[in-house]
Amino acid sequence: MKNTFGNKVNIFLFLLPALVLFFGILIAPVILSGYYSFFSWDGMKPIAEAENLGFGNYKELFSSTEGVNAIGFVKAMGNSLLLALLSVFIQLPMSLGLALMLGRGIKGERAFLSIYFMPVLISTVVIGQLWLKIYNPSYGILNVALRGMGLDSLAKTWLGKKETALAACFVPILWQYVGYHMLLMYAGVKSVPTELREAAMLDGATDGQINRFIVIPYIKPILKVSVIFAVTGSLKSFDLIYVLTNGGPFHSTEVPSTLMINMLFLRNRYGMGSAIAVILILTCFAFSLIINAIFKQED
Amino acid sequence: MAKDIFDKPKSGGKSISEVRRTSAVGKVFIYIGLIFWAFINLFPVYWMFTFSLKSNKEIFGENVAGLPKEWLFSNYSSAMRTGSMAKYFLNSTIVAVATILITLIAAIMATYALTRFKWKGRKLLNSIFMLGLTIPIHASLVPIYVILKNINMLNTYWSLILPYSAFSLAMAILISSGFMSEIPKDLDEAAYIDGCGVWGTFIRIIVPLMKPAVATVGIYTFLQCWNELMFANVFINDSAYKTLPVGIQALSGQFTTDWGPIGAALVVATFPTLFVYLFLSGKIQESFIAGAVKG
Amino acid sequence: MKKVLAMLLALSMVFSLAACSKEETKPAADTSTPAATTTDDKKDEAKPATDEKIDLEMWCIATESDSNRHSYEAAIADMAAKYPNITLKWEATENQAYKTKIKAAVQADNMPDIFFTWSCAFLGDFVSANRVYCLDEEYANWKSELPEVMLGNTTYEGKHYGVPLTMNIVGLFANMDLLKQVGYEEIPGTYEDFIKCCDALKAAGIIPFGCAGKETWCVTEYLESVIEKSCGAAALNDIFLGRATWNNAEVASAVDTFQSLVNNGYFDPDGIALTNDEVKANFIAGKYAFYMNGTWNCADFAGNADGFGAKVKVAEFPVINADKATLGQLIGGPSDTLAVAASSKNAATAAKYCFELGKNICKYGYLDGCGLPAWDSSSYDTSSVNALTQSVAAICANAKEYVLFGDTAMAADSANTYLSYVEQVYGCAIDGAGFVAGLSKDIG
Repeated sequence: MKNTFGNKVNIFLFLLPALVLFFGILIAPVILSGYYSFFSWDGMKPIAEAENLGFGNYKELFSSTEGVNAIGFVKAMGNSLLLALLSVFIQLPMSLGLALMLGRGIKGERAFLSIYFMPVLISTVVIGQLWLKIYNPSYGILNVALRGMGLDSLAKTWLGKKETALAACFVPILWQYVGYHMLLMYAGVKSVPTELREAAMLDGATDGQINRFIVIPYIKPILKVSVIFAVTGSLKSFDLIYVLTNGGPFHSTEVPSTLMINMLFLRNRYGMGSAIAVILILTCFAFSLIINAIFKQED
Repeated sequence: MAKDIFDKPKSGGKSISEVRRTSAVGKVFIYIGLIFWAFINLFPVYWMFTFSLKSNKEIFGENVAGLPKEWLFSNYSSAMRTGSMAKYFLNSTIVAVATILITLIAAIMATYALTRFKWKGRKLLNSIFMLGLTIPIHASLVPIYVILKNINMLNTYWSLILPYSAFSLAMAILISSGFMSEIPKDLDEAAYIDGCGVWGTFIRIIVPLMKPAVATVGIYTFLQCWNELMFANVFINDSAYKTLPVGIQALSGQFTTDWGPIGAALVVATFPTLFVYLFLSGKIQESFIAGAVKG
Repeated sequence: MKKVLAMLLALSMVFSLAACSKEETKPAADTSTPAATTTDDKKDEAKPATDEKIDLEMWCIATESDSNRHSYEAAIADMAAKYPNITLKWEATENQAYKTKIKAAVQADNMPDIFFTWSCAFLGDFVSANRVYCLDEEYANWKSELPEVMLGNTTYEGKHYGVPLTMNIVGLFANMDLLKQVGYEEIPGTYEDFIKCCDALKAAGIIPFGCAGKETWCVTEYLESVIEKSCGAAALNDIFLGRATWNNAEVASAVDTFQSLVNNGYFDPDGIALTNDEVKANFIAGKYAFYMNGTWNCADFAGNADGFGAKVKVAEFPVINADKATLGQLIGGPSDTLAVAASSKNAATAAKYCFELGKNICKYGYLDGCGLPAWDSSSYDTSSVNALTQSVAAICANAKEYVLFGDTAMAADSANTYLSYVEQVYGCAIDGAGFVAGLSKDIG
């Protein structure tokens, strides 16, 4: 038994397609980015002509925090970590709740499942434009509703104020992906063997108890996947923020990805953009290892 | 909130039917909640559809959320006239289907090697694969461009299929291992003893049991590539291979944009995917019921 | 279930086969188009370029819905008729996406023969990376039709690298219906009068200015005009082009002047969170009296289905400090440009083609009202040009000096720094002194 399952040739053959794709297309660019991140390079001149800064770009990223023209990387990282936190503690529980309710088998299960997933399928352009309309200061649904309830003082330029812009960006992001995680968890809930459920029911367990003691432990591997997606997705978030505020007002909604795009393609600071990419990759990687470890410990 | 409703103290003697009955009141509340959430999630679809039939004037202020005052079906004809949306749609489909297939094949094979074989370094390799989740797509743009140029693949479907597959791979492996770990090991060991080789076991036992994973990975891979714009914009210079998001972008002008036709194009791009999803999600449920019985 | 899977598989096989076969035919086609090589192009120039079959590739931003689309199509059709031996394959990409696309192509050295670009710093970066073909030799043949002054923004170290198309300036657009409500039949010509008009509008409950704070370039359309009309065109030009520092007390007080307009409530307070599309829609809907923006809007306003064009007039911003500035000092200039890649296999032919194509695009673009001609326009029949564009032409006829838009004139990094500061000024987070102090520290 052990012999065949340890067969190196077979292992290699099974891994081959994934390895080729992975190293050819994903890892090679990362290594290149790592190399570029040490240079003050505009991305166009031959790199040999660029000045080697050593860790200069990295130092600047973490020290340039004050002033109008500061890169503000630390703040941007903070914003995306906050999003990750909200995602894990608000979005995922909602997804789990929905997945458990639907997975139990209620009437209209399929219809609900399909509807809840729709925001994920709709392109970010649409979601972004929709929320721009919701937040619009003069005719936006939100302000109109507030004024209609006599709460005029609460009506705001939601995306134009430093204090509210970040929260206003987070709400659509969190909302859009509830369905994304729900579907993943639902798939898990559905794979719980019916016998397990029935046995527990015969023992007189309530639905809540079944969920807590049988379903959730059973779908732990899927929950782990969800948490990892939520955290890395939040750290890399870009699309909706780009549509809604593009980092503004006054850089209050910057996240690492918006800064990176700015450096790579607007400011022609390719080296600096690469440095942001490298930090982003390392942070995400560290988090996914930590999450893995946490889940392992719980077993 | 579901917990509050269901979490009653265990009452040993209660029959199943009793438990069901008592939660009937709670069910009403659950349904109200579910339906409310459904409305919130359906709204974008409704909004996108109505906005595709409006003029800029209505979209910007006059009539943001209502039904169009004037139903501008001409938005659709002007969206379809732009470039060749039908061709772009076909291109997007080709790219998406090929990406899903390649991702599935590579991911399920790799997952098998990573979860069923015991060998040194598999944990390390698993972690390295996770790195794929962490790479921001934008940072890889230029390096991948250079790689594709060197292997002469720019301006082909492959220039999108390969990067999309590579970027979906980590996610696909993660999802697949979640599912594969739920398949009892006795099954493949029994098959092996019955004389199926490693490959036979893989193809005859594992792959059929991975159906739920296939559907899930398929949907998530599709999501990654259907709306992708950055690579599609840069790697394809030839109209013959352009995908939908690029085509839709071409609907906005440098300084003026007519949003109605963009809405129309977005509807054309989204509604088929909604239908495909509805179809697939049905399949997921079916496959789960099948899987649960076997498991 | 099995059937479905089998069908899906079969279908996908068909697709992947289709993908393969397409892929196989591709390299054959590729060999005819120039692979990006850095071979010296001098050899080609010796050959007579007119009768051999040549394929050229061009990238531009004239997408189907862009107002310039028609001028490109018409110009390319003219060229195809005149040069049957040259096949031009052209692709249009949306404005923002194009910036990424062309930069990535330059980085990977995979450019088309002819490409659209913006003048000054945008093209300058490509030139300093040695990726652009020098047009000096070819320009000699076009001197009589294209005044050298129009090449200023695409000349680097004395060499010409770009063919200008149309040019645009910043215009003060006014909704005359609203101005009439407060007793103005014309756009006020002096600054005092202008301010009085704004006060009257405000008193009547009409918002004077609409400006998209979310797209900072829209704020610069106002700010740069105020600075120019306070300090003079030469001073601003020197600063933008790095010949003088930002440390300039007059600029600081001009910025304060702009900020006083904001503080006086002349600007729509909601504007800070709006995009230009939204602000423009508001202006057309009659929400604002004035809208300062590029004259590329003329064709749009004139062609508005609800007859908005008849309500609009355009003027230049009034002079604030007559000691330093005069009328005729404008913001704008030729920015839309075509250039030829140094890697082009037929660079000499492409250069010749590029000039003539540019000339045609310029002509059709002007006649369509998309902008003013950078080329000699004395032979055009301008009777069909819309009234707004004609009044812009009249303004430009009296032009004394142009200052190119700051974010186009400055190098990419500085331009974005500048935009950060402009955003702060518009949000009243810093004043004029803070603006010049910060910029002179960060840019120079």
